[in-house]
Parts: sequence; structure tokens; C-alpha cells
Amino acid sequence: MLFSMAASALAALTLLQQVDTTVPAREGQRLVVDSYGGEIDVKTWSKNAVRVEADPSPRTDVEINTAGGTVSIRTEGRRGPPSAVDLRITVPAWMGLDLSGVYTDVKVAGTRAPITVETVQGEVDVTGGEGIVSLRSVQGSVRLKGAKGRIDVHSVNEDVRVSDASGEVVAETVNGEIILERVDATSLEATTVNGDVGYDGPIRNGGRYTMSSHNGDVTLAVAESSSASVAVSTYNGEFASAFPVTLRETRKGKRFSFTLGSGSAQVSLESFQGTVQLVRPGHLHQGDNDEDHDHDDDSDR
Amino acid sequence: MSDQWTDRLSEYLDDEMAPGERRELEAHLLHCVACGSVLADLKRIVIRARGLEDRPPARDPWPGIAARIGVGGTGASPVARRLEAHPRRRWTFSVPQLAAASIALMTVSGGTAWLLHPVNGPGAVTVAAPPSSSAPQLSPSLVVPATSRTPARSYDAAVADLERLLGEGRGRLDTATVRVIERNLATIDSAIVQAQRAVAADSANVYLNSHLAETMRRKLELLRQAAALVSSVS
Amino acid sequence: MTPPATGAATLQDEAIGRTDPDAVDVALAASGDAHAFERLYRGHLARIASLTRRMLGDDDIDDVVQDVFVRVWQKLGSFRGESAFGTWLHRLAVNVILGRRETLGIRRKRHLDGDAVLDSVPTRRQTPEISMDFEAAVERLPEGARQVFVLHDVEGYRHEEIGRMLGLATGTSKSQLHRARMALRQHLER
Repeated sequence: MLFSMAASALAALTLLQQVDTTVPAREGQRLVVDSYGGEIDVKTWSKNAVRVEADPSPRTDVEINTAGGTVSIRTEGRRGPPSAVDLRITVPAWMGLDLSGVYTDVKVAGTRAPITVETVQGEVDVTGGEGIVSLRSVQGSVRLKGAKGRIDVHSVNEDVRVSDASGEVVAETVNGEIILERVDATSLEATTVNGDVGYDGPIRNGGRYTMSSHNGDVTLAVAESSSASVAVSTYNGEFASAFPVTLRETRKGKRFSFTLGSGSAQVSLESFQGTVQLVRPGHLHQGDNDEDHDHDDDSDR
Repeated sequence: MSDQWTDRLSEYLDDEMAPGERRELEAHLLHCVACGSVLADLKRIVIRARGLEDRPPARDPWPGIAARIGVGGTGASPVARRLEAHPRRRWTFSVPQLAAASIALMTVSGGTAWLLHPVNGPGAVTVAAPPSSSAPQLSPSLVVPATSRTPARSYDAAVADLERLLGEGRGRLDTATVRVIERNLATIDSAIVQAQRAVAADSANVYLNSHLAETMRRKLELLRQAAALVSSVS
Repeated sequence: MTPPATGAATLQDEAIGRTDPDAVDVALAASGDAHAFERLYRGHLARIASLTRRMLGDDDIDDVVQDVFVRVWQKLGSFRGESAFGTWLHRLAVNVILGRRETLGIRRKRHLDGDAVLDSVPTRRQTPEISMDFEAAVERLPEGARQVFVLHDVEGYRHEEIGRMLGLATGTSKSQLHRARMALRQHLER
């Protein structure tokens, strides 16, 4: 195992095979990780330092650099793309994270800083995050828990799930469902093409909430104390409510609007050919029936 | 040595002679070795000229360009430098790109959907207020300058360009990623077709038009995401 | 094809409809993405720099190349995608270069001697590596003949277009081209 460490501020550590090194981190620095494949697993501790552990194959280097406002970790292949490396990284909870990869799963726990994650074929599972929290995957589910701030979560071919979070939320996928539970959104945009959308959280006065699907159901949990102007639009779908609502106006086709309380929040619920439904809090999944979970009969597959 | 035809050999080579003169010159070339030699040399020169290699300047002018257009140049932040090494895309859409057929939907700050109708010819698009009484009080009309192409053609051109790019570059992506992209494009295409049929049956329906526009936007976004993946591995 | 406006230029073998590999970056750069613009710049720098060098020489190449790309950045919003981006960029570069030509007022005394300038070019046996010498020979052509030769034989413009760009009659463009080729032939013969 060879080490070489430069004396200048641009210190570069190139480590072969077994990696276990710790570099100091100062307040305001951000962690940037670029890992072609494998897993990025970030946890936090109370030290002002970044610890990196990995066991790369002999043809892959893990490069760690500290320069200015960044501690960066990058996997490099000696010939061609790097092989998969599982990076286990421990950082201060205040450290912002910028994590990216291609065939990379990303897992983060405990951070109280902004996070940006991008992967192509990999799952994203983040607990924590404050400020700007942006999570994206193409083929992989995106799960976020315990974040607050401006939340932006995207997948293409899998589900997006956000829980125990607060702030402004944008959630999108194409072929998956979007489920937001115990989320205190001051504004919400949740759209999918082929999947259900569900929100169970407070509807804030003055907030704006848009939930939309083409093929799936759109379910909104509404507390009795909510104040919202609700517009429901569907083309081939249905509307169902677990409690009585008085339709203020009905437009040609299936478009309804009604007011809850003082009508403070603006809510738009749209499904081209799914069901738009209102439920009470805690009953987001009450629309699911046994058939959805019965895989004994796979005649439809 | 030169004769009356020597100075015409370039015209002959470039096929810019009148047919009669061309026949005369060709008859001359049959027995004029000197002209034949000159013509052969001229051909070699043209071939050499077309094969000249391009080379960059000794010094990279980019810092000067970056300064003049007001961007960071090579003094960018570490994150920006990493973006440079591994380019990621930011998705922005102009009004034409969000348009569906001849109608586009724009969501303004109030969150209310406004319908854009192309009026007064292709030169401008006027935002008209929807009939809902709950609409916030905005100015009665907002003229949005249109490009010289109709929104539908701009969208179609953007989609076609990106689809071609993806088609050419799909070999650079792994098969699983290609499958995911294709599958989801098919999902969106199916949704677009359904929405188009619905709009055709009820063209004044605000929701249907906005839904169609949004679904088309999703297609464009996915295509750009896919094209970015192709570019990032090329 | 509709004749271009005065000062504009088209290329003989412009192939509209082929896939434009720059399409994505053009769209991004047009919306202000400087990284995308830099990628476009790097992809086309060599060609634009070479065009500039061949038309104007090595002096001021840095300034002219900067002018070209700054103009591209400014005008990118007007690019409609009816031709490939590289074709549009090339036209714009030619226009900038021709405008610069007037400003620079290039006068190189050795070129006033016309064909005789090539007498000073060292000779080499013809090998594949002679392209640099050929390029050097091109750059030592008399200015008028050089510009017509570059635009026609290197860049592929037609005489009608070259005449419009340089303010020449078509016949003059043809004779300048032949003059350039014959001068280069003399060099290659040695």
C-alpha cells in the first residue's frame, strides 16, 4: 500500500486497495463524491473530519482531495471505467453532500445539511437533509425521510416516497407511485404518468398543492380543519370522497371544485383515467384492496 | 508550358464548363500530356485541401471569451469543475417547447392555469384569462413574443432531434438503461396519444389541454435526460 | 435552395436533416448554460481557429476566434435549427472574419509579389506528413488568391457565394482560384 501526500493546500491522497483514511473538515466545506458503481453509504458523526473506508479492486483507485471548500472522493479506473466500489463515508452532520454515480446506490443517514444525489441505476435512500434536498434516479426508487427545506425528488422507473418531512416539495416519476406521508408541505407538486399519487399531511393555509397522474389514482388525506379551494379534474376516471363535499361548480366532463373551510389553500387534483379520492388522515392506503397484493393468481402478468 | 486550355483546367475540374467547351477540352486532353499533368496536379491539390486538418490555436481563447460573456471560465467552483468533468443537465423549457399543438399552458406565480391562444397570426401569443371566477386579478392580457416557428413545430423538432441523438447514441448506454428509457418513453407516448384523443373530442377543455401539454413536457424532459446520459458516456 | 442574403454564405454539401450531435448542448446553451456553451466551443474550436488562420494568418487569431464565439453566444437564441449548428457557426465565423479583414487591413508585402512568394518555401519530398508544409504554402499565397482558395477548396463554398462575400465577380473568383492552385502546384512540383 503506497501513500503520497502533498504539503500544499491541494492535498491529494491516492490509495490502493484497502482504504481507511480520515481527513480534516472545516465548517462550510462540502463533500463531493463521484462513484461510477457500487454503493455510497454516508453516515454522520460529531467530529470535524471525513472518514473514507473502501475496498476497491486493484484496477480502481479511490482518490480523495481536499481543496478550498470541498472534500472530494472519486473512483477512477486505471484502465477504462472503474469497477464497483462500496464507499463507507462518515462526515460531520453539518457537511453538505453532493453524491453522484451511474450504477450506484446511495444511502445517507443523519445529515443536517443540503444534499444533492444523482444516480442512473441505483436506489436512493436518504434520512435527513436540510435546505436544498435534491434526489434523482433513473432506474431506482427514491426514498426520503426526515428532511426539511426545498425538496426535489425524482425517479423515472420507480417509486418516490417521502415521509416525516417538511417544506416545499416537488416529486416526479414516470412509471411509479409517489407517496408522501407525514409530510408538512407548504407547497407540493407531485406528478407521475403511470402510478398513484398520495399525500397525507397538513394542508397549510395559503399553500399550493398539485397532484397529478395519467393512469393512476390521486388520493389526498384531508383533515377536518383544512381550509382549501379544491379543483378536481379527470377524464375517464372517478371521484370519491370519504366525507361529504358540496360541489361548488361542475364543468363539462368530470371537473369539480369545492371549498373546505375558508378555502385558503389552492389544491388541484388531476387524474386522466384514475380515481381522485379524498380520505381522512391516516387512511392514505384505504383505497388499496386485497387484489392488489394477491400474487397467487398471476394470470394478468 | 501552357496553352489556351491550361487556364481553363480548374473550371473543368470543378465541372463549371459549358457542355460544348467541356467536350472540346476533353478531346484536347486525349493528346496533350502537359495539360493532363497539370490536371492531375490540380486534382491532388483539391484533395489535399479537403484533407487539411484543423488544429486549435496555440493559446486557448476560452478565458477571454468567458470574461466577455460574463461566465466563470476555468476559475469555477469545485462543484462546477466537477460538473465540467461529469456534465449534468439542468432542464429549462422555453414557451414554444411547452406548447401542445397550437395551444400551450403556462402556470404563472399564482398557480392558476392560463390558456395561451395563438392570436393575431404567428407573431405573438396572447395570454387570455380562464373563465374561472377564482382566478387572481392579473392584467387582462399578457403578450408573449413567439418565435418565428409555431410552438408545435418547435416541440416536434426538439423531440425529433433528441430522439435521433438517442437513437445514434444508444449503443453507448447499457441495455438495462436503454430498456428503462424506452419503456418509459412508451408509457408517456401512450399517455400523449390518449390525451390527444381526448383533446380532439373536447378541444376547449382546460384540464385536457394542460394535461396534454404537461405530458408532452415530460416526454421532452425524459428525452433530454436520456440524451444527457448518452453525452456523459461518450 | 433559396439564395442567401448578401453577406451570408451557404455550403455546397450542407446536409439538412442529418442528426446534429450538438442539438442538446445548443438548446442548453441557448437557455444560458455556460458549460454547454463551452462544450460547443471546444468541439468547434479547431475548425474555427483553422479557418481564421487560413483566411487572416496567425496574427490576431486569438482575438478573432474570441469575436466569433462571443457573437455565437449572443446570437444563439436566433439559431433555428434549420441547418446543423456547425454549419450555422461556420457561416457566422466567415462573416466575422470578413468583417475583421476590412478592419485589419491586412497588407503583407511579400504577398504583393504574388506567385513569387512561394519561391521561398522550402521544398520537401512528397510524404503524408507534408500537410503542414502544404498548409504553410497555402498561408503564403497572395491574399486574394488565398481567401478564394480557402473558401472554395478547403471550406466548400461556391464561386457565386464567394463573390458575394468578397465583393468579387464570379469570373474573378474562378481566376483567383486557378491562380492559387497553379501556385501551389509549382510548390508541390519541387
